[in-house]
Amino acid sequence: MRSGFESLLVGDGLSYSYLERFPALEEVSLAVSRGERLALLGANGCGKSTLLKILAGLVFPDRGSYRAFGEEVNAERLEDEQFSAAFRARVGFVFQNTDAQVFSPTVREEIAFGPLQLGLAPSEVEARISDVTRLLEIDGLTERAPYQLSAGQKKRVAIASVLVMNPELLLFDEPTAGLDPRSRGWLLELIDELGRAGKTIVFATHELAELEWIADRCLVISEDHRLLAEGAPSEILADRELLLRANLIHEHAHRHGAVLHSHPHERDHHS
Amino acid sequence: MTDGSSAPGWLLVEASGAPPLLCSGKRRRGGAIEKTLDGLARLIRQALASEEIAARRGLLQRLDARAKLIGMLGLLIATGLVRHIPVLLGLYALTLVLAATSRIGLGWFAKRVWLFIPLFTGVVVAPAMFSFVTPGEIVVPLGHWFGHEVGLTRQGLTSAALIVCRVASSISLVLLLTLTTSWSRLLAALRALFVPRLLVLVLGMAYRYLFVLLDSVAEMVTARRARTVAAKRSRRGERLVATFSGGALFGKAHALSEEIHQAMLARGFSGEAASLERARIGAIDVVALVACLALAILVVGGDRALGL
Repeated sequence: MRSGFESLLVGDGLSYSYLERFPALEEVSLAVSRGERLALLGANGCGKSTLLKILAGLVFPDRGSYRAFGEEVNAERLEDEQFSAAFRARVGFVFQNTDAQVFSPTVREEIAFGPLQLGLAPSEVEARISDVTRLLEIDGLTERAPYQLSAGQKKRVAIASVLVMNPELLLFDEPTAGLDPRSRGWLLELIDELGRAGKTIVFATHELAELEWIADRCLVISEDHRLLAEGAPSEILADRELLLRANLIHEHAHRHGAVLHSHPHERDHHS
Repeated sequence: MTDGSSAPGWLLVEASGAPPLLCSGKRRRGGAIEKTLDGLARLIRQALASEEIAARRGLLQRLDARAKLIGMLGLLIATGLVRHIPVLLGLYALTLVLAATSRIGLGWFAKRVWLFIPLFTGVVVAPAMFSFVTPGEIVVPLGHWFGHEVGLTRQGLTSAALIVCRVASSISLVLLLTLTTSWSRLLAALRALFVPRLLVLVLGMAYRYLFVLLDSVAEMVTARRARTVAAKRSRRGERLVATFSGGALFGKAHALSEEIHQAMLARGFSGEAASLERARIGAIDVVALVACLALAILVVGGDRALGL
């Protein structure tokens, strides 16, 4: 954890099972500092999304405790009107499945949904919509229906609908999955800029190429849903054995002429 | 493939068992699956066409959705009360004029109305034309049955024509409203007219996710078609596929609905739907609304003046 920052989120011994039968998270503890950019690394199905949903107060751990902004977060407290509104206003969650997130008939109504739920005046909502759509370069799409948008445009709408609420904490689930190279570059730059502006960002990924750019620290989750390691991106990326164990790279074998040789391999780069 | 590969031997040799890549002259028969796929594609095309018409710069497109909705409701009630065919024909002619001024192709518009009529109204209306349902003066004799003359009666034909004209005018009015108003504006209009907001929210989401699920169905059907090699067909097989696809779709819809709920919660949803009310009623909307309602009253009054 970076020194000189207070902990914004503290999870202690978080465990969660789906349908009480399929474990998704086992005894994971973490602390996130204010203004930090934390990457959750792990293979498909290791529990990254579940951890993000716990941090967003959308699912609740079977065991362990979770505190955010200095307050205990649990199902009962989120039933409280004021607590719920205050928590939701501070936490923004960008889902991996944009179709689940973009649920309104038009882009404009989609972006207006959050601020209206928080009780902002319509004139303020209008002003914010116009700012955020300009920032995300979707100001020409506001009257469109979601099914008329491409995957990249839908992702921008989903991010706009979260940024418009100006949350302190931003949670991204596999933000660049399924995006073309230009949209991907644009999104990484945006995350970098938001981080520099002081937002706390937690994102789940298995794309190692992006790490050093947009993360201050990484948590590696193993395939048996436990915390495997934590450290700076450069330390984690240098530990090939750890990355192999977490199924983030694979042993790649190929031929150079008649010679067969093998080495660790990640999706984008040879190491 | 590397030496350390665990792939079975048959996967590593050249494909065998596939027929030679030649034309035999025998045509493949399109099954229910192909028809489903084409139907889905057509549905999406139609929805897109409606949005395109709503975006044209015509007379009705310029009016506020609320004014249109109330005006059309007034005219619909009047259509239901009219008892003279010439008056109904006049109303139908008016819908054609409105369609033309709203840049909707007349042939296309009329086809959409008249295709419905034999399907839905014909079944109800057909028996009413015969003498054993509507007794009266027989104009088209069809023979004798148990000593009675059977045929189409003047009264029966008149009442059938009246119903057909009434249905045609009503469908035309509703089509004019839905074609010239985008779905989101129509929902906003419903909200303004005291339809509960939660109901409007659910309607909006139902329409939104219809497309997502249609995409899923199209993908499943295409994936099956891509793997269909021989024309081995059986009714039972097709039924099984439909059952499994339906089950898979239900599962997908359930998982999606859970995520949507979470996405709504994450943005502060508390069970109350709020919306940006934005559209303002202008002078032209008031004029159009008054004209519609005045016309509705005039039509019913004129119809009454013509007698029963």
